Amino acid sequence: MSIFGSNEKKAEENTTYFFNADKDTVNQSTLAKDIKIHGSVEAKDYIEFSGSITGTLKSSTVNLKPSSYVKGTVTGDTVTVEGEVDGDIQAKDVYIKSTAKIKGTIRYTNIDIQNGSIINADLFYSS
Amino acid sequence: MDDPVVDSFPQDQDNDSKTIMVGSGVRLEGRIDGAQNADVAGTLSGTLKSSTINIDSTGNFSGDMSGNDITISGQVEGDISSENYLTVNQSATVKGTIEYASLQVSYGAKIQGTLRHRGSVHSYSPEPVEQPTENDQVSE
Repeated sequence: MSIFGSNEKKAEENTTYFFNADKDTVNQSTLAKDIKIHGSVEAKDYIEFSGSITGTLKSSTVNLKPSSYVKGTVTGDTVTVEGEVDGDIQAKDVYIKSTAKIKGTIRYTNIDIQNGSIINADLFYSS
Repeated sequence: MDDPVVDSFPQDQDNDSKTIMVGSGVRLEGRIDGAQNADVAGTLSGTLKSSTINIDSTGNFSGDMSGNDITISGQVEGDISSENYLTVNQSATVKGTIEYASLQVSYGAKIQGTLRHRGSVHSYSPEPVEQPTENDQVSE
């Protein structure tokens, strides 16, 4: 019920958000299930994303939970996909879980794919 | 040799008759069709159709392969079509187009190309569709 709480829920405009950019606390950003974003989200360390985004997600570690939907680009060192991605994934380590649905392009150095995932994509390996 | 307790052996023999093995260091070119099991530890280029395909870590395949369950630990360049399980192990390097129903890739494997998911899982029929009279034939 706090003022800040209601402000955060209006994060649905075409803006770039920097989460926890200058906090010393645990640099973890959680974007809940019912959040819809048009634009780009950037975090320093860790994003856990369950919502839906049209645009760009960027963080050192990106965790796309089963209910997530991304149309656009996901960039990070480590990207774990449990939800749906329509677009580009670019990361050193890509983990694709059994619930994932991916369409587009995956650029990676290491990839791990679980049985059950549905992938229709072009894969590009680079060392 | 004395006791005739070899009940299960004829079954194994039956399987053996549809097995093709390319040992490590061996090079083979051509078209293989109608096999039940294919085990490639050497170099094989051409077309390979087999229910089960295993490309060993020393194996090298170039061309088109299609099968039910495919396991890759070596090098493959070309098109892969799997109707059931496709397993790409850590030591594998794959270049080409991959059509799969269920795919598992271990961390460390290198895949360069296109992944295409089959809508549903069909059962694999070893006879060629265009020539239904020539069952179980290994052509040159």
